[in-house]
Amino acid sequence: MAFIEVSSLTKEFKIYKRKSGFGNVLKSLYHRDYEIKKAVSGIDFNINKGEVVGYIGPNGAGKSTTIKMLAGILVPTSGTVCVDERIPYKNRKENAMHIGVVFGQRSQLYWDLPMNETFDLYQKMYRINNAVFKRNVEFYVELLAMKDFIKTPVRQLSLGQKMRANIAVALLHDPEIVYLDEPTIGLDVVAKDRIRHFIKEINKEKQTTVILTTHDMDDIAQICDRLIMIDKGRKIYDGSLEYFKQTYSTGYMLIVDFQNANENLFNSKFKVVKEEGTTKWILFRKEEISAPEVVSYITQNFAIRDFSLKEPDIEEIVRHIYEKDIQPVAYK
Amino acid sequence: MHYIDLYFQFIKINLKSMVEYRSSTISVALAEATGFFAQFGIVWVMINQFKTIGSWGPYEVLLLFALNLLSYALASFFVARLSNGLPNMILMGRFDEVLTKPMNPFLYLTCSGFSYGYFCHVIVSIIVIVMCFAKLCIKMTALKILFFIIVVISGALIQASASIFSAVPTFWMIKNSSLRSLMFSLSDFIQYPISVYNKAVQIVLTIIFPFAFVNFYPAQYFLEKSDFLMFSPIIQFLSPLVAIILFVGSYLFWISGIKHYNSTGS
Repeated sequence: MAFIEVSSLTKEFKIYKRKSGFGNVLKSLYHRDYEIKKAVSGIDFNINKGEVVGYIGPNGAGKSTTIKMLAGILVPTSGTVCVDERIPYKNRKENAMHIGVVFGQRSQLYWDLPMNETFDLYQKMYRINNAVFKRNVEFYVELLAMKDFIKTPVRQLSLGQKMRANIAVALLHDPEIVYLDEPTIGLDVVAKDRIRHFIKEINKEKQTTVILTTHDMDDIAQICDRLIMIDKGRKIYDGSLEYFKQTYSTGYMLIVDFQNANENLFNSKFKVVKEEGTTKWILFRKEEISAPEVVSYITQNFAIRDFSLKEPDIEEIVRHIYEKDIQPVAYK
Repeated sequence: MHYIDLYFQFIKINLKSMVEYRSSTISVALAEATGFFAQFGIVWVMINQFKTIGSWGPYEVLLLFALNLLSYALASFFVARLSNGLPNMILMGRFDEVLTKPMNPFLYLTCSGFSYGYFCHVIVSIIVIVMCFAKLCIKMTALKILFFIIVVISGALIQASASIFSAVPTFWMIKNSSLRSLMFSLSDFIQYPISVYNKAVQIVLTIIFPFAFVNFYPAQYFLEKSDFLMFSPIIQFLSPLVAIILFVGSYLFWISGIKHYNSTGS
C-alpha cells in the first residue's frame, strides 16, 4: 500500500448560472439554474513516502481542489483518497496532526505579533514536546535565515519573510507530509531560492513527503523528482521530470552563427526553425541525431563563427501543452 | 484539558495583539461602556416616566435588561468569532485553515476567537444587576445565588445558540446578513417584559425563538412574581433545559453545515 493513494477521485461543484438583464435577475431570486462543474474528475495516483512531487496545471485545472481533498478540507464527490492509511475527511483531526499545509496566498501568522508567538501557540496546538519544539525552531530559523526578524511583528515583514515564517509554522510538528500550494508565488529570485533549498533540506533530513503546486517551472526543476500534470480536472502526465522532457519536448535547439548568410542547410534529421541574418536556430531530437553529430556535420560543411546549445526548457514544454490542449498520453 | 491549556494560550496571544493597539483598545472600551450606560439611562428615563411597564417596576425592568445584556456578552466572549466572523471566513475561503488544524472546528473558533470587546458589557451589567437586587431588597440565599448563576449560564447558551443558528446557513448561502439582523431584532424584544406585547409575540418568544427564557421567566423567581402569561409557573425553572436543547440543536446544525462546506478557489 502506497503512502498516499488516490483513485478515481472526483469533485463536483454546483455553479449557478447568471444571466444578464433585470428580468432574469428577478427570476433568479426564486429559481436558479445550475450546472455541475467537475473540478477534479477521476484522478489516480500513488505517492510513496519521501517523494517530492510537483503538481502542476493551468489555473482552474483542479490543483487546489485536489490538495484540499488530500488535506481533509473537502469531501470528494466520488472516488477514494487514502493518506497514510487514513481517510482525510473522515479522520480529519488525526490526519491534520500528521500533515502541514501552506497556502501561498494566505498567512497563518498573527498579524500584530512576532512570529515566535505563533510558534508558541502551535506548540500547544500540536502538543509538540519541548525538546522537539526547541530543536525545530532553531533548525528552521537557521535554515531559513530568520534570525534577524524573528522578533519583528509580522505586519512589518516582507512577503518573502512572511512566507518563510509560514512554512516554518507548518513544519513545527514534524509532519510526515507537507502540502504547499504555490509557496513561491510573488517572491523574488533570492526568496524563491531560499524556500527551494529549505524544502530540499527538509526532505533530505526528515524524509518529509512534499506535494507542491506551482506555476514556476524552476520550482519543479530544482526540487521535484516527479511531476504530475493535470488539466481540466484530468491527469495528463505522471512520471519523472526527465521522461517528461523527453516525451513532450520539441527538442534541443542549436543556435549557430554562420560566416555567410543564406547557407543552405538540408537534413532530414533536423530542422531550421528560425533565421535572423547569419544566425540560424536548428531544432533536433536526441533520439534521431546526437548533439555532437549535428555540430560536426555543420562545422565540417560550413564556416561558422559561434554556436550554442539550448536544452529543452520545461517552461516552454508546459506552455506548449497548455496551449495545444494536448490530451492524455501514456503515463509512466 | 488540552483545550483549556490552548484556550489560555489563545487568550495570551490575543491580549498581546490587543496591547499592540493600546490606545485603540482603551478608546473602544470607553466608547462601549459609555454606550451601555446611556442605554440603561434611556430605559431608566422611560420607566420613570411611566412608573411601571405592564406591572413591572423600574428596577425589575432594569434587571431584565441587564440579564439580557450579561448573557449576551458572556455568549459573545466565546461565539463572537464563530458567528460574526464565519460569513466572511467562508466567503474568503479562510475556513480552509480552520479545517487544517488538528482540532474540533467549533472549539477552535471559540478558543481562538476570545474577544475582549465584551468585557465592558459584563462589568456594566453586573453592576446594574447588583444595584437592582439591592434596591429591590432581594435576600440572596446560597440556593438563589446558585440558581442565578445557572440562569446566567443558560441565558448565555440560549444567546450563543441563536448566534450559531443564524450563522450556520452561511455554509449554504455564502451571504446571509438578513438572518442575523432578524435574530438581533427578535432579541431586542426581551429588553422589556414580554407581557406587554400581544399574545402572538409572547408565543413566538417562548416557543419558536425562546429568548424569553433568558430573562423574563427566570427573573420572576427572584422577583417573586407570577406573570407567566398562558403558561404553567414551572416555566420559571425551565431555562437550563431550554438552553441545553437549543445548544445541542445548534451544534448539530453546525456539524451539518460543515459537511456542506465547499471552500473557494485560490
